[in-house]
Amino acid sequence: MSLTAQTRRALFPSLGRSSLVMRLVMLAAIWSVAMLVAAGFGLNELFRRAAVDRFEAGLEESIKGLFAETTVADGQVYAPPMTDARAFRPFSGFYWEIAQLGPGARVSSVVKSRSLWDSNMAPPPSVIAAARRRPGETIFFDMVDPLGKPLHAGAQLGSIPGRTAPLLFLAAENRESIDAATARFVVIIVGSLVILGAGLIAAVYLQVRIGLQPLFRLRREVAQVRQGKSDRLTGAYPAELAPLAGELNALVAHNQDVVERQRTHVGNLAHALKTPLSVMLTEARQQPGALSDIVERQAEAMRAHVEHHLRRARAAARSQTLGERTDVEDVLDELARTLERIFQSKSVSIDWTAPDGLCFRGEKQDFQEIAGNVMENAGKWCRRNIRVSAQELDPQWFSITVDDDGPGLPAERRGEVLKRGARLDESAPGSGLGLAIVDELARAYGGGLTLEDSPLGGLRVVLRLPRAEL
Amino acid sequence: MRILLVEDDPDLSRQLKMALDDAGYAVDHAADGEEGHFLGETEPYDAVILDLGLPKMDGVSVLERWRRENVATPVLILTARDNWSQKVAGFDAGADDYLTKPFHTEELLARLRALVRRSAGHASPSLSCGGMRLDPRAARASVNGEPLRLTSLEYRLLHYMMMHQGRVISRTELVEHLYDQDFDRDSNTIEVFIGRVRKKIGPDRIETVRGLGYRIMALEGESGT
Repeated sequence: MSLTAQTRRALFPSLGRSSLVMRLVMLAAIWSVAMLVAAGFGLNELFRRAAVDRFEAGLEESIKGLFAETTVADGQVYAPPMTDARAFRPFSGFYWEIAQLGPGARVSSVVKSRSLWDSNMAPPPSVIAAARRRPGETIFFDMVDPLGKPLHAGAQLGSIPGRTAPLLFLAAENRESIDAATARFVVIIVGSLVILGAGLIAAVYLQVRIGLQPLFRLRREVAQVRQGKSDRLTGAYPAELAPLAGELNALVAHNQDVVERQRTHVGNLAHALKTPLSVMLTEARQQPGALSDIVERQAEAMRAHVEHHLRRARAAARSQTLGERTDVEDVLDELARTLERIFQSKSVSIDWTAPDGLCFRGEKQDFQEIAGNVMENAGKWCRRNIRVSAQELDPQWFSITVDDDGPGLPAERRGEVLKRGARLDESAPGSGLGLAIVDELARAYGGGLTLEDSPLGGLRVVLRLPRAEL
Repeated sequence: MRILLVEDDPDLSRQLKMALDDAGYAVDHAADGEEGHFLGETEPYDAVILDLGLPKMDGVSVLERWRRENVATPVLILTARDNWSQKVAGFDAGADDYLTKPFHTEELLARLRALVRRSAGHASPSLSCGGMRLDPRAARASVNGEPLRLTSLEYRLLHYMMMHQGRVISRTELVEHLYDQDFDRDSNTIEVFIGRVRKKIGPDRIETVRGLGYRIMALEGESGT
């Protein structure tokens, strides 16, 4: 029997989406519970059968004793003296009777135990019929005694020498003892099976958790790659997962490779154009005239396009990169050194601080571009001093504050500075503050840039950037 | 004034040579890295204009070799690449200025003038302490011949300490000499700078004298020349 997908969905609506662990544990649990319930019923039935058999063996013994020792003298039936004292105590729970059969299903008592007092056992007609069909065999049946207690009884038809009509020998005993034993057994068996079932499910759960451990490890490692904590999966995986881990590593490597190659291609093209542009510009300048004006203007425009598309291509490539992290301290140190050289005619001094081990979640080149352009802008406008301070904001973000002691920028012009970037190709390169590019880059990383007044007197640029966890 | 121009593009070389001639410089031209390196090493130039993308040997390697061989000629780098890692690599290799292609010839000439003027301006003798050397003329320092990469504040700190070798210098004194007068800084930040400088020059060259300040000294076994 196979379940269709539809019925399976109807039966286990949550299985498709829920975890593998739940799936495996649920299936094992359903199976074990079914098996345990079946085992419970089976065991209970076996126990009851055994108890009843033992009980019936006792009854049969009593009937045989009765039959063997019953005598007939002068047509009078004499029952043997029963050793069981219960036979004399009224309604004791043990009864016997010797009856003769009349026509049809009529039975009339001949001799009976004192315990029956004034009642008769009166076996049902079906028992009499069965006894008639199979003389010498004991037919068992249930009945109640005069006090209403449940009895189990046996009846056997036998012929006694000296009497032509066969006699029906009956014995009955209170069956409460079997019922009590069976009930006790049920309690024990249900209890043990519940414990066994719980144990089985717990064992399956553990087995699945431990068995799937490599899968959880794989998930953690992939997350680490995404968060930039590592650049590939390094764990040893079992045979089933090793190819998957290998493929993931290959994918990460391929991704980085593609990004790198793309960047190199675009870079090569753009940079290859720059020397010819430089030559054209210089040549045009040396021979003033209408033609040279056009050449110069167009060469400048080409240069702006080259710059713009170089950045665009890099931004597009970047959003795909995985697993990159960049030490903030290292980059700030490099940039401070370099910018102090670039602005050495002004004796610019860059004072920077960054917490130990703070990392930017992204490419080094991008972080250099972001921090470098902001610091370069500060370098252009400052009198002498630039202060750069990196600070952790929360586990996901950090800030970089760049202050300068230059003339600053009035609040109403700040929006304009950033807007210019939206029309980068229309604005001449080198004009503006270069902050638009930074804003664009920071946004690509989900961060941003704000402009404020600096306590040093000039402009304060605050960058918000994603942080790589340690 | 004698200038070395190392550039492989023939048109750009011709233009630059003409412009430099017009500006009154004597110009030697090399079209690849090896020739450029050889000329720069053997001839006494006042300045070098060095393209980074060169055949045979790239510009950064040429520059690094010169600086290792103690060729202190000021160098202006020309490059098409204007990303920061290139700039950092250029300056760390020992460049004095940097110009991105395409550029205007006037800009190049202005930068060159500033470069020559700057390098001629200072004449203070170099300082040394053990294996450490500090050249105030080029604002460069090195440990056992390896150039140190210092920011200006770190350089100033090291310079001041080397001028006062063997003496314990208090934090307050360092703050006063590191920052402008109107620049109010906590003297605790000195600890940060000392930490950074130690990272770059080796942990044992600056000793902390508890409660008093810091002292710079040669390592044991180093000659104090």
